[in-house]
Amino acid sequence: MLEVKNLNVSYGRIQVIKDFTFSVGDEAIGFFGPNGAGKTTLINSIIGLVRPTSGEINFEGQSLLDRETHQIVRMGISVVPQDGELFPIMTVIENLRIGSAYIKVAREKTSERLEFVFKIFPILKERAFQLAGTMSGGQQRMLAVGRALMAMPRLLILDEPSVGLQPSLVTELFEKLAVIKTEGVSVLLSEQNVKQGLKVIDRGYVVENGAVVIESTADDLKNNEHVKRSYLGL
Amino acid sequence: MESISFWKKYKNILFLILLIVAVAIWKPHAAIYGLQRGSLYALAGLPLSLTLGIVGIMNLSHGDFLSLGIYIVYMFSVNTGMDPLVSILPVFILLFLLGAGVYKLTITKVLKAGHLNQLLLTFGISMILLEVMNLIWTSRPRSVYVDYASSSVTVAGVRFGTYEFLYVVFAIAVLIGLQLFLKKTRLGQASFAVGQNPRGAKIVGINTSFVYLIVFGISVAILGIAAGVMVPRFAIFPSVGSSYTMKSFCLVAMAGLGNLTGILISGIALGVGEAIVQSIPGYAGWSDIVFFGVLIAVIMIRSIRRPSL
Repeated sequence: MLEVKNLNVSYGRIQVIKDFTFSVGDEAIGFFGPNGAGKTTLINSIIGLVRPTSGEINFEGQSLLDRETHQIVRMGISVVPQDGELFPIMTVIENLRIGSAYIKVAREKTSERLEFVFKIFPILKERAFQLAGTMSGGQQRMLAVGRALMAMPRLLILDEPSVGLQPSLVTELFEKLAVIKTEGVSVLLSEQNVKQGLKVIDRGYVVENGAVVIESTADDLKNNEHVKRSYLGL
Repeated sequence: MESISFWKKYKNILFLILLIVAVAIWKPHAAIYGLQRGSLYALAGLPLSLTLGIVGIMNLSHGDFLSLGIYIVYMFSVNTGMDPLVSILPVFILLFLLGAGVYKLTITKVLKAGHLNQLLLTFGISMILLEVMNLIWTSRPRSVYVDYASSSVTVAGVRFGTYEFLYVVFAIAVLIGLQLFLKKTRLGQASFAVGQNPRGAKIVGINTSFVYLIVFGISVAILGIAAGVMVPRFAIFPSVGSSYTMKSFCLVAMAGLGNLTGILISGIALGVGEAIVQSIPGYAGWSDIVFFGVLIAVIMIRSIRRPSL
């Protein structure tokens, strides 16, 4: 579905992503790594917010390089950025509706999508007419995921969804992600919370200093010495 | 939520009507003149509210686009004999293209660089427009005469111009048109999204560059409407529109970012205030001070009432 080959990304003279190759099929994959490993940059280059210096990014056989973010999103890739990027002075329902309004296939099914999102996140239905900016951090995160789902994505990218959330909410959010996965949406998850992340993903990559250090299935990652020591604190 | 904002709108309009009635009893001439003049301020201010208040582009060349529009109307009138009000349509289209072109060539490059750079850039555009108009048409004042523009009536002993009521009509029409555009079209909805969070707009599939381009184009084009109605009553010279830049900024500040109805209300309120001062013999020159004085007062009162914002 998504194939990234030999990707290099630099900010000025600092190379952030080095010769990065990975792929996502009909599955959930995870990127694990510390702050500054390049996870967000990688995501931003997939959705066209950052231009890679070299390499290939293909989604369902079509190159994403030289495409604008809105075009990439319309192809079926939705992203939940770390800080949500919601519209603070719009209500919850307006935020959700805008999630499907500019994507043709999703626009025709707006009411169905709303029901789908409300089923996964009942809190959003309760708060439908509250301004997004006045909600708690956890609810905003749910709204960001909900808005991304409104677009009927085939690939959902989440950039550290657990950051800044209390542990019970993190558990709740990852339970929701497991549900979303069963709906036939491929998931690309970037996480520091490896323990929670491993519950959702099928396959994972450990990213350090902009390069893949380990690539393995979720089960193997759980037993990997490096992962245990550096990320699981065992 | 909905009912509160409706009450708010209603309250301000009520306040405005009371103000006009009160002034009409005291100084009928000032009330009518203020209403007309204020509507013109609003007509020029509405497009700035769209660019600055809704999508967040600073445009210091606002008033100079108005001057340019006025000259284009003038050229239509001189060369083809077209009535200024009829020429609004072609001028609207021409200014839309011009605005979109200027946006594409210049402003798009500094969008991400923040408001200071936009300010400097559009200040430069303002200077260029002004000098170009000076070169082409010189600073000699010109005018277009149409007989209906000087018609007047006398009601209860008060004599006033009737043509200027067109400012009121056009201001209300533009206000309604913009509201419909913003509420009913997907592009209008997208403008709100872009204004609140450009990055967020991109990731929901909005073509933000296109939204900026169209909105800037429309904003400049609306100045063509203002130009069309102004031409019959104004002496035409290169800086004829310059003062409307600051006045429009004031209206946007007074009405609050993105509040279009507020632009009309504030415009008329300030117009009436100005007219009252001008009607006092010997104090006509103080009207600008009143304009900006009222603005400062409104902003101060607001910041006291809403310390959290």
